[in-house]
Amino acid sequence: MATNTINQIAELSGDAITLEERTPFQIVMRRFRRHKLAMVALVVISVILSLTILAPYITPFDVQEINVGKYFVPFGTVDEATGRTHYLGTDNIGRDYFSRLIFAGRISLAVAFISVMISETIGIVVGSISGFYGKWLDAVLMRFVEFMLTIPTLPLLLIIASMLLANEALIPIPPVILNIIGKIMLLGPRDARSAVLIVLVLSGLGWMGSAQLMRGMILSLREQTFVEASRSLGASNIWIILRHMIPNALAPIIVSASLGLAGYVVAEAALAFLGFGIQDPVPTWGNMLAGTQTYMFDRPWLPLVPGLPIFICSLSFNYIGDGLRDALDPRLKL
Amino acid sequence: MSVYLVRRVLQMILVIFLSSVATYALLSLAPGGPLAGLRQIQQSARFQITQEDIARIRAHYELDLYLPVRFSRWLIGQPRGPLVIGGKEFFSDLVIGCSQPIEEGFLNKKSGAYETRGTGCVKYVHLQDLVGRRTSRGIMLGDFGLSWRLLRDRPVSDLLWSRLEKTLQLIGLETLLSILIGVPLGVYSAVKQYSKFDYFFTSLAFMGSAMPSFFFGLLMILAFSIIPKNAGLPYLPPGLSESVRDYTIPLLGTIAAGSAADRILHLVLPVSVLTLINISFWSRYIRSSMLEVLRQDYVRTARAKGLKETVVIMKHALRNGLIPFVTIVVFTLPGLFSGAIITESIFAWPGMGRLYLLALGDNDYPVAMAIFFILAVLTVIATLLRDILYTVVDPRIRLS
Repeated sequence: MATNTINQIAELSGDAITLEERTPFQIVMRRFRRHKLAMVALVVISVILSLTILAPYITPFDVQEINVGKYFVPFGTVDEATGRTHYLGTDNIGRDYFSRLIFAGRISLAVAFISVMISETIGIVVGSISGFYGKWLDAVLMRFVEFMLTIPTLPLLLIIASMLLANEALIPIPPVILNIIGKIMLLGPRDARSAVLIVLVLSGLGWMGSAQLMRGMILSLREQTFVEASRSLGASNIWIILRHMIPNALAPIIVSASLGLAGYVVAEAALAFLGFGIQDPVPTWGNMLAGTQTYMFDRPWLPLVPGLPIFICSLSFNYIGDGLRDALDPRLKL
Repeated sequence: MSVYLVRRVLQMILVIFLSSVATYALLSLAPGGPLAGLRQIQQSARFQITQEDIARIRAHYELDLYLPVRFSRWLIGQPRGPLVIGGKEFFSDLVIGCSQPIEEGFLNKKSGAYETRGTGCVKYVHLQDLVGRRTSRGIMLGDFGLSWRLLRDRPVSDLLWSRLEKTLQLIGLETLLSILIGVPLGVYSAVKQYSKFDYFFTSLAFMGSAMPSFFFGLLMILAFSIIPKNAGLPYLPPGLSESVRDYTIPLLGTIAAGSAADRILHLVLPVSVLTLINISFWSRYIRSSMLEVLRQDYVRTARAKGLKETVVIMKHALRNGLIPFVTIVVFTLPGLFSGAIITESIFAWPGMGRLYLLALGDNDYPVAMAIFFILAVLTVIATLLRDILYTVVDPRIRLS
């Protein structure tokens, strides 16, 4: 009886003293939840993402389906013949705005996500090599990166996109990649080709920032004792980079990736808006917005339909990045 | 210092040379161009284009020369003919190109596509043939060659000069306004950190920096041009840099086309779009650098010795807080020349950015390349300027 009580007391005091153990992920999530706007943004993005993933099931009309004679019908018009609703009306040649908007979101967001993945990978690799091996390779790479970062992005993006799109047929892209991208974006192989090119252009010019970031992290990590310890245990360079440096440098990379998503959504839309991105029959938010420009004088609400999603996505990714930065490392400045 | 400068200038020349190589590589990759459509015309019976015609056109655009020769002529305007030393001509028989290539079509078995490929040459171009050919003085000496499409066979520099004034107007005004408004806003919001104004302003600036300029431009046209006009209120012109004919604005009366009032009215919308977006970036930057400075010991010392708060901020904090800002302001230099592509295209502003877009859309690559090349050069110059300015505003930094 007495021992039982003592055990109970010991158990209780044990509970009181040792804190509940949390994984780093839980700690980050706790801190992230404190950023109200970032949480709202996360919910908004999740809703938009699930809408675009479910695109084929929730859109009443086909993307290319033209309803002859039903041009610019108002919001919520019901198609008598089939009973389907034009939630956001139709465009100038009678295509359903809502369906196109959802599919456009799928393409625009997929382009942004794939570009971020590629560019962050390139950035991590180049930054690691440059920071770890140093010497002349570092000097050459970083000079190049610095120069590229100082050149205004848009002119460079435009000139390369226009060259690539003009030479579209000449650029060899493995059919496997075209197939995968086509599946993700629900495009045929021909349309997928220009989407792949846009991804290439965006990520080809987008990796420099994260390479600089990664290099900086590697340079400071290289002097840490755990790296020294690992080396004294006989670890190879590759092992040290993969096992110790990249995981430790991941926090700023994640933040820059989420801010990068905002940048890519806007950049893709800008290219399409200016006519150097994915072209019209395939919907993207950018080319839909460009399409409304001619008709906005009579229908002022029109630019809002494709424009707001771009703004909302850009803002949300920015807020998420902001929240992640606060959660992962409050001292971090990007 | 002078050793440093010499080294930097040499580096600059190397970078400019490399970027000109890259630009030219892009240019020669470009399809379309002056020969586009010639093949189709060649097939039609009406036009009867002979081999000689094609050779002549190819020579006109220098497409008959080999790439390195073409590049060298584009870059420095050489070679122009045989090497003449003491009245004697050397290398006059050197083959430098092919005016009539043999093109054979065949079926690519792997991809199943029909391809044409140059397999030989009927007539070569020799160095002596270059004598008397029209040539540019080279892009290094500021001669950008001739336009292909926009102003066919007229110098690219004519086009550039015609657009420069409007872009300088737009971007110059924007930069000036952004500094005049953005700096005080950023400083004020740093000084009053966590105040209502600070919260309101930083969240507004956050949204502004996430706002895509093309959407913002369209919204501004809606809000200040289309909706007021439809409602019969005073409105701002939505595009162009000056009007073609006189127009009447309620309350303001009739405005003559091309008058000063007309031009100013046309400037308002594009300048405010650019300025508002710019302010949201710059003021956030200034706010964070001011916050850092305000935490420094010397600011506390200044306060401790009883200086007025305005003196502390204006004299001690601001001057140090603006040091990193110099970098950003210097990098508006390339933009002063190249303009704002998106905003100019939305407002149909006849500036350099729109010219660039038109040139790219119309495959007029010499024009696009010239703009891009100047942009790269200005960027390199801005980098050097920034590093020098750093030592001026902050004597602690030494160049070495």
